[in-house]
Parts: sequence; structure tokens; C-alpha cells
Amino acid sequence: MRSSRSQTRRVLTGLGFLLPNILGFLAFTLVPLVLSFGMAFTDMDFFRHNPFRDEPIRFVGLENFAWLFGHPEFWHYLRNTFFLMLGLPFAIAGSLGAALLLTRVGKRPGLIPGALVLATLILTGSLLALRAAGMSEAGVWFIFGLTAATALVAGVFTGGTIYRTLFYLPHFTSGVATFVLWKKLYNPQTGPINFALAPVLDGFGGLIRAAPGWFSVGVPVLAGLVGTLLAGWQLRRLRQHWDDATAGQVAVGFGVTMVILPAGFLLHWLGVPLGLAAGFVVGAVVLLTALIVRRPRRWGPVCSLDTGLSAEIALALGLVPLLILSAAGVIFGPTLPAAAAAGIEPPNWLGDYDWAKPAIMVMALWAAIGSNNMILYLAGLSNIPPELYEAADMDGASPTQRFWHVTWPQLAPVTFFIFVMGIIHGLQGGFEMARVMTLGGPAGSTTTLAYFIYIEGFETGRLGYASAAAWVLFLLVFILSLLNFRFGNRGTND
Amino acid sequence: MTDLPSPAKPVPSLAARLRAAAGGLGLHGLMAVLSLAMVGPFVWMLLTSFKSYAEAADPAWMPETFLWGNYPEVLRVIPFARFTLNSLMIAGWVTLLQVFTSALAAFSFARLEWPGRDRVFFLYLGTMMLPGLVMLIPTFQIMVRFGLVDTYLGLILPAAFSAFGTFLLRQFMLGIPKALDEAAEIDGASKWRIFWDVVLPLCRPGLVTLAIFTFMGNYHSFFWPLVMMKTVDKFPLPVGLMFFDSERGQATHLLMAGVTMSVVPLIVLFVFMQRQLIRGIQIGAVKG
Repeated sequence: MRSSRSQTRRVLTGLGFLLPNILGFLAFTLVPLVLSFGMAFTDMDFFRHNPFRDEPIRFVGLENFAWLFGHPEFWHYLRNTFFLMLGLPFAIAGSLGAALLLTRVGKRPGLIPGALVLATLILTGSLLALRAAGMSEAGVWFIFGLTAATALVAGVFTGGTIYRTLFYLPHFTSGVATFVLWKKLYNPQTGPINFALAPVLDGFGGLIRAAPGWFSVGVPVLAGLVGTLLAGWQLRRLRQHWDDATAGQVAVGFGVTMVILPAGFLLHWLGVPLGLAAGFVVGAVVLLTALIVRRPRRWGPVCSLDTGLSAEIALALGLVPLLILSAAGVIFGPTLPAAAAAGIEPPNWLGDYDWAKPAIMVMALWAAIGSNNMILYLAGLSNIPPELYEAADMDGASPTQRFWHVTWPQLAPVTFFIFVMGIIHGLQGGFEMARVMTLGGPAGSTTTLAYFIYIEGFETGRLGYASAAAWVLFLLVFILSLLNFRFGNRGTND
Repeated sequence: MTDLPSPAKPVPSLAARLRAAAGGLGLHGLMAVLSLAMVGPFVWMLLTSFKSYAEAADPAWMPETFLWGNYPEVLRVIPFARFTLNSLMIAGWVTLLQVFTSALAAFSFARLEWPGRDRVFFLYLGTMMLPGLVMLIPTFQIMVRFGLVDTYLGLILPAAFSAFGTFLLRQFMLGIPKALDEAAEIDGASKWRIFWDVVLPLCRPGLVTLAIFTFMGNYHSFFWPLVMMKTVDKFPLPVGLMFFDSERGQATHLLMAGVTMSVVPLIVLFVFMQRQLIRGIQIGAVKG
């Protein structure tokens, strides 16, 4: 038996090594946390309460929270934050796609002569273009050709390591520098994006103008068809998950809601009152869920390898933008020819209320594809036991089936981790981007919660409101993380 | 959607081999094009950094003549060297302190046995989930009270402790055989000796990984310096670069030259350290 003396000694030694961290934790986490909680209930204002001017601080109860929730701006910023988080499924898909490609590109020495020939061809082509078009502009094509050819040859020689390096670069350098860079890229007058886009859109407009009359019918029909197919595909997947007890049922409920929700938004947008549209959504969700569940299971057996719920949610969330796009096709398809007649201009990106958010999401995607997530997926892919693929091959599985029944379920723990982290970061994100690129504009369309807290805390100096908003954010992170851990990793057993 | 290559099959005919080679080359071609998309913005950055002020307003990619003088110009117009020095110094100190405090805590969590250890560890891990924004305003208030606003210390101190770093190093230390500690203990080594002479040298790769992460994160750091620093001479690079892109004036060509100079060291660091880094990321994400 150990004496209590040696017990105390052990604790003291253990805590002794922790001491610097404990001090830091007290000074920079616990104390600020308590202070911030207190501040959320006061009228504290930096310009009235500071070391130089010490007015008494008033306790205002829940007034700050009431102001926040009664303030349309706050809801606007909350919506913005969630809207930008819709990029997360795309980022996950991008990282996974990149990891899959990188895994496939193995070292195959037989390719080296071919790669050299191909690289030489690319280089010769770019050089010819350079000669034909004169030094100035075609020089760019030469540089592109050189870059691509170098990457290709290096890729074949190194077995793909160079691609991983290049994919990871945007993430590694991401910060103020890349935000500034993208701000310039998006500039509608001087940036290269619209410079490249303008002739393409012009040609596209010409095509539409020249297209026969059925065009204005064909586009909406096609968009509607794609949307229906996507929705049906998702519902089918969900049906397969219903029997996985709670997790499966939550997945079905969630998935159905995600499929119906865009329709609800659409109705509201078309002028149906909000209450009615919400009623439609609730009714349709209940009806559809009932229908799905009542149907006998005739779409084949449920995959025995369970997929984590967060992986399913990531999938369902990824469908939302696609469904919105297809709905937009249905609505705007008929008006396309008229729009084309007026000439199609490239958007004003960061300067346009509606385009600013997609522009930022594209930039974020560029930085997110080759990020730590890709590295995690690479590790996850190399950890899948090859026997599973062999078994799938023996059952005659197609590549698609191999993906959905082996790869995706096996990667569920990784997807879960990425999803949780993505949500936590997403809720807090958007400060640097807003400060550097848009100052939260135009008309607040890129102001996220984080930027709002910064403005209230450090520019208008209303520390009480800022703290209240920070605590709302805290609660959101807490609730979403809790839900994630409760449901998200069902079936991910390690 | 496709996957890992299937188990090796015999490759019989020349035609099949040619087809496989063509497929492989096609894949490489796709990867090269994707790489180009990733690198494209950097190419534009580099080209624009050689333009003149007037040319920077022109959407064409190529400069008329390459103005190498833009780079010394940046050094002349803003105290670029000073900003870089500030950034390096701040990131350096934070890295040193954070690696040290994290290693100490990780040693306690991974190698010492004391009652309540695991409970404290999970509490500690829980702070990783706290949104930093909640602490931001009171931390600034504390800085005001203690007169640390506009000092390097005010930037370095709050960043010197890290739950993530502790977690990462704990994972590394758990992988070192316990027998080594025990042997040292029998030889009469104190806990401190075991920490300093046995465990630390063995988890060198972990220390390097954490150092790179911390250094990078703080080299990029923008929010906190923006709030804290008032004197121009104390700005770190990300804040200082904003002089070229403010309401008072835009100098895209110089901005891009500055951005290039601030990004190139990172790229070099990354290319040399990527193996370390990738291993660290993978270890850090394993559930603890």
C-alpha cells in the first residue's frame, strides 16, 4: 500500500509539471471566461468604462440578449455565418477527392518515357503559342505550360508527392496574404478572373441567343430532372439507413428535411407567407418520412458496414446547394434568353450583395481542398484493410459500389472528426476574411458572427453586447458539438 | 468515383500495358492541371509584383518589363524588414514558450501517475472546444489593466499556452516505451532528469512538428496584433502589409511584392518540413 504521503507527493509532482499551463489557463482562459460571462449582463462600454474614465458599470440583466434577438441585423449575421458553412461539404468532398486521386497516383516507372514526351509536347506547344502571339500575353501560357509540365514530370518521378505539396500550398500560406491576393483576383475591373470570364460569358450569351425556342423549356426541364434524381437518390440512401435504430432514424428525418427545406425557401421566396411555407415544410417532411418508412425495403440489403451519421449529414448538406441550383434552373431557365439578349456580364464578386458570399466560398474551397483534411483522408485511406476491397471484388462490386460500401463507411471516423472541427471553426470563422477583403460588406452580406463581435467589441466599443453575442456563439458551438458527439459518431467504433 | 488500385493482376499483352500507361498518364495529366489551379493565384501574384503602378490596373497577366526594383521599393516605402523581424521574433518566442509549457504538461499527463490525472486531462482537452472569441474581449481588458497593450509581451503571453500542443505531445510521449523511465528511475534519476534527458530527446519529431505549427500560426497571426498594437514599428507583417491596401491608397504591385516576400519563406519551410508536418497532423487527429 502506498502511504498518503507518497500519494500527495505524486499529485504535487504531477501538478508541478502542469504549473505553467495552469497559470496560463487561469489568466487567459478561466478568468476571461468568467469576466466575459459577467460582461454579457452589463452595459459595459469601452468609451465610458476604462482606466481613464471610470463610470459605474450597470447590471442590465438579459437586456443585451433581448437586444440581440430583437435585432434583425444579428439574425442576418447568424444567417451569413451558416450560409458560409454550407461550403463545408464541398470542402470535405474536395479533400476526399484529392486524397483518392493522390492514392491512385502511385509510382509507376513505366510512365517515365511517356511523361517526358507529354511534358515536351506541352512545353513545345506553349513555346509555339508564345511565338505566334508575341511575347507579352502568351508568355502567361508559356508559364502555365512550364508549371504543368514540371509538375507532371516531377509527379511521375516522385510518385505523386509533388502534387500533394502543391495541393497543400494554399492552405499552408493561407492568411492575410492569400486573402489580399484573392481580393485582387476578384477585382471586377483589374482582376484576372473577370478578365478571363468576360469572353466566355459573351460566347455563352451568343449561344443562347442563337439557340432555338425549345431552349427556354429544355433548361428548366433538365434542371428539374437533375434535382428530382438527386433528391430521390438521397431518399433511397436514407431508406437503407432507417433500420440502424436511432442513428438511422435521425439520419432519415434530417435527410428528408434537407430535401424539403429548399422547396420551403423557394415557396417563401415566390411570395408565399412564411408561416404557410413553414407549414408546408413540416407537413411534407412528416408525410415523406411516413411514406419512406412504410415502404417495404426492396432496395437491397443495408450495408453491414455502418456509416457515421455525420458522414450522412455531410452528404445531405452537400445536396442543399445542388437542389437550390436546380430550383434556380427551373425558375430562371425561361428568362435566360431575355437575359442573354441584354448581354451577360461577369459578376462584381465581392462588390455584389448576392455574389460576395459565393466568391468567398470559392476562395475558401481553394484553400480547403489540400488542407489538413486531405492529409487525414490520406492516412484514413491507407488504413483501410485491403481484404475489404478483395471481398468487394469477389462479390463483383463496381467501383461506385466499392466506394459507397467500403471506402466511405471505413472513412466515417475521419469524416466525423473533420465535420466536428469544420463546424467549430466555421461558426467562429470569417473575421480575417471580412476585415481584409470586404469589411463585412456589401450591406453586411459578408459579416459573420465573429466579425460582428469584433466590430461591437473593438470599434463601437459596446463590450456588453459583444460579450452577449460571444456567448450566443459559445452556446451554438456547445450545442452543435454535443449533438455531433451524441449522434454523429454512431457506428464509428473507434 | 474510384478507389485504391485493386490487387495486382498479371499484365499480359502490349496493348493492355499501353492502355494502362495511357490511363496512368491521363491521371498524372489531371493532377498536373489541378496543381496548376492551386498554383495559379501564386503565379499571378509573382507576375503582378513585377508590374508598374499603372500596369497593375491592367488585367493582363504579364508585365511589360519586369521591374525588379519593386522589391527594394517595398523595403523603402514601409519598414518591411522591421515588420518581418517583429513577426519572426513574436512567432519565435511564442513557439519556444509554447513547446516548453506543452512538453511539461504532456510529460505530466503521459508519463507520471497521479490520482485525478485523466480527469484533469479531459477537462484540459475540453478547453480546445471553447471558442476563442468568447475570451477575446476580457483578455484585451486584462491587457489594458496590466498595461500590456502595444507591447510584445502582450502578444506573446496569451499564446504561450496551448491545449492542442499538450495533446499532440502527449500522443507522441505515449508512444515511448515506459521501460526507459523505469530504468532511469532505478538509476536514481529525478522526474526532471527523466523529462529532460530521457523523454524530451526521444520525442524530438513531435517537438519539431509542434514548433512548425505554432510558428506558422503565429507568423500568420492578424487579429490579436491588429487589436493590440498601436505603434507602427511594432507591427508584425500581416498587419503591416495592410498599408498597401488601405482606404488611403492602393499599391497592388508593391502589395504583391510584399506578399511574395512574406510567403516565400513559408513555402521553403514547408517544402523542407512536409514529412514531419504530415506525420504530426496524422498523430494529432487520433482520438485521445
